[in-house]
Amino acid sequence: MTKATTRRFFFGGTIVFTAVFIAMTIHTHMTIAERTHADRLTEEVVRGLHVWGRYNCENCHTLLGEGAYYAPDLTQIVAQRGRPYLTAFMADPSKFYSEERDGRLMPTLGLSDPEIQEVISFLEWVGGIDTNGWPPRPILVSGAAPRGMPYVEGSLTSDDAVTRGKALFDGAAACATCHSRTQGLTQIGPTLAGIATTAADRLADPAYRGAAKTAEEYLRESILKPNAHVVTGGTYAAPDGTSLMPSTYDRTLEPDAVDDLVAYLATLQ
Amino acid sequence: MTYRSQRVAYAYFLAALVLFALQVCFGFLTLAKYLGPDPLRDVMNFATTKAVHTNLLLVWILTGFMGATYYMVPEESRTELWSERIAWGQLALWLAVGVITVVGYLFGWTTGRKFLEMPTVLKVGVVIVMVMFLVNIVQTIRRAGRFTTTEGVLVGGLAAVALLFIPAFIVFDNYTLDRFYRWWVVHLWVEGVWELVMGAILAFLLIRLSGADREVMEKWLYVIVGLTFLSGILGTGHHYYWIGTPRYWLWVGGVFSALEPLAFLGMAAYAYNTIRRSGLAHPNSIALHWTIGAAVLATIGAGLLGLAHTWPQVNRWTHGTHITTMHGHLAFFGAYSMIVLAIISYALPGLTGRDEAETQTSLGLWAFWLMTGGIFGMTMAMGAAGIGQTYLERILGFGYLEAQKKIQVHYVMWFATAIVFASGVGAYIWDFVRAGAPRSVPAAAPARDLRVPA
Repeated sequence: MTKATTRRFFFGGTIVFTAVFIAMTIHTHMTIAERTHADRLTEEVVRGLHVWGRYNCENCHTLLGEGAYYAPDLTQIVAQRGRPYLTAFMADPSKFYSEERDGRLMPTLGLSDPEIQEVISFLEWVGGIDTNGWPPRPILVSGAAPRGMPYVEGSLTSDDAVTRGKALFDGAAACATCHSRTQGLTQIGPTLAGIATTAADRLADPAYRGAAKTAEEYLRESILKPNAHVVTGGTYAAPDGTSLMPSTYDRTLEPDAVDDLVAYLATLQ
Repeated sequence: MTYRSQRVAYAYFLAALVLFALQVCFGFLTLAKYLGPDPLRDVMNFATTKAVHTNLLLVWILTGFMGATYYMVPEESRTELWSERIAWGQLALWLAVGVITVVGYLFGWTTGRKFLEMPTVLKVGVVIVMVMFLVNIVQTIRRAGRFTTTEGVLVGGLAAVALLFIPAFIVFDNYTLDRFYRWWVVHLWVEGVWELVMGAILAFLLIRLSGADREVMEKWLYVIVGLTFLSGILGTGHHYYWIGTPRYWLWVGGVFSALEPLAFLGMAAYAYNTIRRSGLAHPNSIALHWTIGAAVLATIGAGLLGLAHTWPQVNRWTHGTHITTMHGHLAFFGAYSMIVLAIISYALPGLTGRDEAETQTSLGLWAFWLMTGGIFGMTMAMGAAGIGQTYLERILGFGYLEAQKKIQVHYVMWFATAIVFASGVGAYIWDFVRAGAPRSVPAAAPARDLRVPA
């Protein structure tokens, strides 16, 4: 092999592969609008992209898995947490997390109210991008869904609805992220200690606005329609009275799973 | 040092080392936040210190490349630089842009695009620097009329670095497109044209350190850089798996990025064969250590650790975890930091007018072993953290925060080994300073008089 041969290998290879790369780029460029549902790319979303950049978000977080690894991935965060929660969280993260308890705390960045709405719109739009199936299972901020662990697998496949419901509470449904089961311990949402009894009391309360007739129905309604009756309090609801609980469980939980959760919650007397 | 104008390289090397030291300081600040608690959270948050850390890396490596070029081109073309004044002006402007960028980040002046956070007006400054640099180098070579393959690859690589900076100016409203073209700069720099610069410096050093035959060396240099582009251009696809781009990138990116280690394996084989044929007799043993070290650690860090998570079947689980941190650190250090430290160690005796044997201090060797040992330990700690994070968070389904608590011990190991690494950096800089100021040599006769038949 002579130097002239290797030179031809270098220049020839570079030209060929550059040409292929550019051809693929042109094709990719043409498909992006459909894959990212660009019709929903509103001005508010674009302003949100600039908020994302201006506050240097991706040097802590990842989005579509790209960025830095100091804070959680946010690809599906709007579907997971909902707009009311994220609005309240970004205004003052220290209301929801503590450095001492959780190890990390997001700084209060001083985002304005419109900026918060814009960046949520941007994240919501990103959540709808066709990512070829990534992530293969949900990436959670906190809580745990250790489905692969033997004892949880056993619980999920148990014949007993209460056992399955407890596994969901601690696992895939991630209820334990926000709700404690200890009297007086508030994480983010209200404690669920004695929720079965509390549910019955709520129904008797003249202030109750929902449609449930029994304690079980109340529990089901709280999971699937968090705004049917909102318990007010520091981190429970937005100032306008909207619940901070995600309103996505009617889409993300199978009906059987909701039955299991209700069965489990009904045991918390 | 044969030519007076090569002395500018000393200033570039000194600046590169100061920036390297600063990069390490900001690395510690950033890492400390993983250990927590973070008293600086509202003053200088993680996003800020990390952006400064990564940007200083890019700036000091590029400063080193510029210094290396100003040292190598006069040697290769056997001439003084076309304009020493432009070289000084370029350094001043480059450092001014760098300082404004870093200080700007501390006050929140950023566009927030990872690695390309620099505001547009400062990017224009970078373009001016690149134009000054390329004009000066091309004019130097043109005037001399002597052009070697090694410097051809070097200058070609640097010109491509400048050209590929252009997409950094384009911002898309569509986030997926924005990501897509951002990789044209980031990937095609570090897994493409920067490898040309590395290959050229490696070839230059191997020829000088071993006395190997230039024709043979330059023949294989074409093969190495040919393999770089053969794999690296379509290898960009490994960044296009999950960002909203078509599914075919999974195949294309997977196959071609799996070939990327070939270029680095080629470099390692290149170094091994050269040394085997020509021996290790060169008196500058420290430069030899760094040169061989670069070829070996680049193969492990950039080649093998990249391969470890480049297949889509693996990457879907590891994407966005400390597995990438592990690969990134050893790849950058092995491929680019070490080759810059190699050329600095090679050039230092000549630049300071000292005998080569005189600069072979035990401190210099300590610097090599502390840095390579330290980065190896850091890589292990990051790898353990990354595997733990992938398994707990991505496979088992623990929340991000819970998984982070469980891998905390690896951050402690990361910190401990980083101290070993930093002590090596300190030793290297002290050894550099101890070698003394650059010596003055008379200006060489006009280049044309020195012209030799090609």
